[in-house]
Amino acid sequence: MPATTTSESLTPGRTVSELRRALAEARHAWSSRAWLGTAVFAAALLLPIVLPRDVAVDRLAHYAYLAAAAVGLGLLVGPGGMPSLCQGVFVGLGAVISARLGSVPLLVALVCATAVAALAGAAVGAGFGRLRAVYLAVATWLIAWGFGLALLASPRIVGGAQGVVVGPGRIAGVDLTPTVHYELGVVLALVAVLGRGAVRRSALGLQLEGAAVTRAGAAALGVPGAAARTRAFALSAALAGLAGALAVHLALVADPAAYGPYLSFQLLVACLVGGAASPVGPVVGIALVGLMGPAGEALGRVTGAETARFGAMLSALLLVAVLASGTGGIVPAIETRLRARPRRAASEVPIGQHTRAGERLEAQGLVKRFGEHVALSGLDLDLEPGRITALIGPNGSGKSTALRLLSGSLAADEGRVRLSERALEELPARDRVRLGIVRTLQRPPAFTGMTALDAVAVGAAADRPARAARAFFATPAGRATGRGARADALFALDTVGLRDAAARLCDELTGAERQLVAIAAALATRPSVLLLDEPAAGAGAQEVARLGDVLRRLRRDGLTLLVVEHNLRLVHDVADTVLVLDGGAILAHGAPTDVADDPRVRAAYLGRGVPVADDGV
Amino acid sequence: MSVALQVAITGLAAGGVYGLVAVGYSLVFRLTGTIAFAFGDLIGLGVFATLLVAVGTGPVSQTNVGGARYALAVVCGLLICIAVGVGGYLLVVEPFLLRGSTVGWIAGTLALAFALRAVLQSVFPREAYVFPDPIPFDRLGTDGFVEIAGASIQIRAFYVIAVAIGLALGAVWLLERTKIGRGLRAIAEDADGARLVGVPVNLFVPVAFGLVGAIAALAAIVASPSAPVTLETWPLVGVKALAAAAIARFVLPWPALLAGLGLGVAEAAVAEVHVGSFQPGAGWSALLPLGLALAILAARPPDDARDDNE
Repeated sequence: MPATTTSESLTPGRTVSELRRALAEARHAWSSRAWLGTAVFAAALLLPIVLPRDVAVDRLAHYAYLAAAAVGLGLLVGPGGMPSLCQGVFVGLGAVISARLGSVPLLVALVCATAVAALAGAAVGAGFGRLRAVYLAVATWLIAWGFGLALLASPRIVGGAQGVVVGPGRIAGVDLTPTVHYELGVVLALVAVLGRGAVRRSALGLQLEGAAVTRAGAAALGVPGAAARTRAFALSAALAGLAGALAVHLALVADPAAYGPYLSFQLLVACLVGGAASPVGPVVGIALVGLMGPAGEALGRVTGAETARFGAMLSALLLVAVLASGTGGIVPAIETRLRARPRRAASEVPIGQHTRAGERLEAQGLVKRFGEHVALSGLDLDLEPGRITALIGPNGSGKSTALRLLSGSLAADEGRVRLSERALEELPARDRVRLGIVRTLQRPPAFTGMTALDAVAVGAAADRPARAARAFFATPAGRATGRGARADALFALDTVGLRDAAARLCDELTGAERQLVAIAAALATRPSVLLLDEPAAGAGAQEVARLGDVLRRLRRDGLTLLVVEHNLRLVHDVADTVLVLDGGAILAHGAPTDVADDPRVRAAYLGRGVPVADDGV
Repeated sequence: MSVALQVAITGLAAGGVYGLVAVGYSLVFRLTGTIAFAFGDLIGLGVFATLLVAVGTGPVSQTNVGGARYALAVVCGLLICIAVGVGGYLLVVEPFLLRGSTVGWIAGTLALAFALRAVLQSVFPREAYVFPDPIPFDRLGTDGFVEIAGASIQIRAFYVIAVAIGLALGAVWLLERTKIGRGLRAIAEDADGARLVGVPVNLFVPVAFGLVGAIAALAAIVASPSAPVTLETWPLVGVKALAAAAIARFVLPWPALLAGLGLGVAEAAVAEVHVGSFQPGAGWSALLPLGLALAILAARPPDDARDDNE
C-alpha cells in the first residue's frame, strides 16, 4: 500500500520532525516565484494604508472574498474540467446561513455555513459531476436560477426583496471593520490559492485531472473519477460558502438579488479571464472584473447614459477577448511567454518501488453477444505468471472484446473469470484493477497538458486515499499521497525506459512514446496481470524492438502478460504462447513457430486478405 | 371546474411559448451540441427592439398603435433578433466548437446573454413596460375578459395560444416535411455525412440559430401585451424552456413541444394550489420544472463509458 504511515499517530516528537522536514522541503522549493508571491501578498495586505481616500476599502474587501470563491471554482473549471455555473449559489448559501445565525457567535456561524455549503457542493458533485460538460453546465445553470428564485420566493427566510439586515460581527473580540474584512479576505484568498496548489500536487489532484483529460483512460486505470469530482465540488463550495458567510457581515445585508445567476457568471468570468489552469489565475481575474465596475461607471459618465450598465458589458467583452485569444487566460499566457510553467524536474522526485507477484488468470467459456452478432463464442484462457501470451487473429475476431471481458469494462453474457481461484465475473473494472488486473487501451489516452510523470502518476494515484481536507491543507498524509504516487510513477517510467522524458508534456511525445506512457501508467497501478491492446500499433521497427525489451523485462519480473497484437514480429520475438482467435473462438494455440506453420491459421489470415509477415514468423 | 379551465387556458398560453423555445434549444443542441444560454435574452432583445420602434422608451399608456408602425416594429425586432442570433453564433459559438473548447462556447454564450441584458437595461431603465397591442381585445367581452363555465378568462389568451401553437406546429412541419427541415435533421444526425451529400452545413447552422430565435421572439411579441413586460421576463422564460428541453432530453420535435406545454399548465396549476393556508404562489411554481429537469439530468447514465475511445 502507499506510504501513508505518517498520518494517524502524531506524537510530539514526530510532529517536530515532520515540521522540520516540511521546512527543509519548503526551503528547497523556495524560488523566485515564491518570492514574487510573498511580495504581492505583503503588498496586498498593506494596500489599505497607501490607498487614496476615494477608493472604498469595503469594495476591495468584497472582491477579496470573491477571489477566494473564484479560486475554488478554478479547481472545478481547471483540473476538474467541469464548467460549473452555480458557484454563486454556494456564496449565497454561506451568506444566508451566516445571516440567519445572527444570534450565535460568528465563528460558529461561519463553521456551520462552510459545512452546509460543502455538503451542498458534494450533493451537486455527486449528482452531476459524472455528466459530460454540456449537461453539467445545464444542470448547474438551472441550480443557479433555482436558488435565486427560491430566495426571492421565501421572504420568511431572507426578508423579501430587501433582504435580511446583519450586524457587523466580531471575531475573538475584534470588530469586523471594512479594513479587517479586507485583511481577512486577502488571507482567505491566499489560503485558497495555496490549498488549490496543494490539491493539484496530491493524489486527489491527479485523479481529478486524469479523469478530466481522459475519462476512458482514467476509468481503465481504476481512477475513482466520480468520487474525485464530488470531493472537488465540496472543497470548492466550502471556500465559496466561507467567503459568502464573511462577506455578508461586510455588506450588512443578505440581499437575495446579489446571489442570482449573475454572481455565478462573474465568478466564471474571473476564472477564465485569469486562467483556470493556474491557482492564482482566478485572483487576477477577480481583480480585472473588479476594475470593470469603476471603468464602466467612468464610461457611463463620459457618455451620459442613464443608469449605465457598462461594467457587465465590459466584463463580457473582456471574457470574449480572452477566450478568443486561445491562451487559456492571462496568467497561463504570461507563464508561457516567460517559459516559466512550473515543471517539477524528475531529479527532484524520489524513485519508488512497485512490485507485485504475477497471478494466474483463467477464463472459461466466455461468451459475448452484441444483438445478433456473436463476438465471442466460448473463449477459454489460462494465463500464467512470468509468461507472455499473445492473442492474434484477423480484424473483428473478438480480441479486444476478450480483453474488455477480462478487465471488466464489459460484462460477459456467459463464462467465468478467475484470478488465482478468486471469481471475478461480478466485479466491475475498478475493483479488478484493485485486485491487479489492468488493461491498456488500443489508442493510448491523450494526457493533454500533463507531464509524462503526472500522466503515469494518475495510475499510481488511482488507489491512493484522496481525502479532500488533507489534500487542501497539505497535511503530511495529504502530501504523502502525491509524493508517493509520483515516486511510483518514476519507477514505472524507468521500467519502460522513459525516465528521461518524465518532465516532458505528453502532447510533445511520439505515438510510440505515448503507448509506453500508457503502459507505465498501467504498471503504476501495481498490477499482477497486464492486458495490452495492440501496444505496437503504429510503431517503427526500432520502437517495436524497444517494446519487446520492456515486455521481456516485465516477464522477468514475474508479471502475467496478455498481448493482443497485429505485429507478428513482436509476437514472434516475445510470446511464449500464441492463441489465434477467429470468429470469436480459439482456432489454434501453441508456440509462435508452430502456430505460424498451421495451415488453418494461414487460411484464416490470408482468406481475409491480411498479409502474414512471413519473413518474421 | 372553473379553476381547471382557467389553469388550462393560462397554462397553454404560457406553455406554447415555452414549447417553442424548448424546440429551439433542442434544435440547436442537436445541430451543434451546444446550449444556447443566451436564448431568453435574445427573445428579450426582439421584444424590446419591437417596443422601441413601435412606441419608443417612454412610459406607454396607450394600448393601441397604428397597424403599419406596429408591423414595421415587428419586422425590425425580428430582423435584429436574426442578426444578433447569426452574429452571436459566428462570434461566440463556432470559433470554440472548431477549437473543441466546451467551456469557451458556454462562457461565450453567457457573456452574450449578460451583454444583451446590460444593453437593454441601459436603454429601458424602468421597472416595467406596457406593450402595445394592435388588436383591441379590451373592447371584447367585459374589459377583454369573458366568463366561461364560471371562470373569467382573458380573451387575448386564446389568440396567444393560437399563435404560439400555430408557430410551434409550423416549426414542426418545417422540420419534418420541408427540404430545409430534412437538411437540418441530416446535420443533427451526422454533420460530416450531411456535408458529404451536399447539405450546406456552414450556412444552415447559423441561419437556423437566427431563425429559431426569431420564431420564438414572434411568439413572445404576441404574448407580451397580456401583462406588463419587464427585463427579467424573457431570461426567466429562457431558463424554464431550457428545463422543458432537458425534461424532454432534447428530443425533437414533439417531446420538446409537449414538455413546454405541460410545463406551462403545471406552472399555472401550482400557482393556484393551496395547501391548508399555505399558497406557494407564482414564486415557487418556477422551481417545479427546474427540479424535475435536474432529477432527469441526475438520472442520466454516467458518461464515463460513452467517451470510450474504442
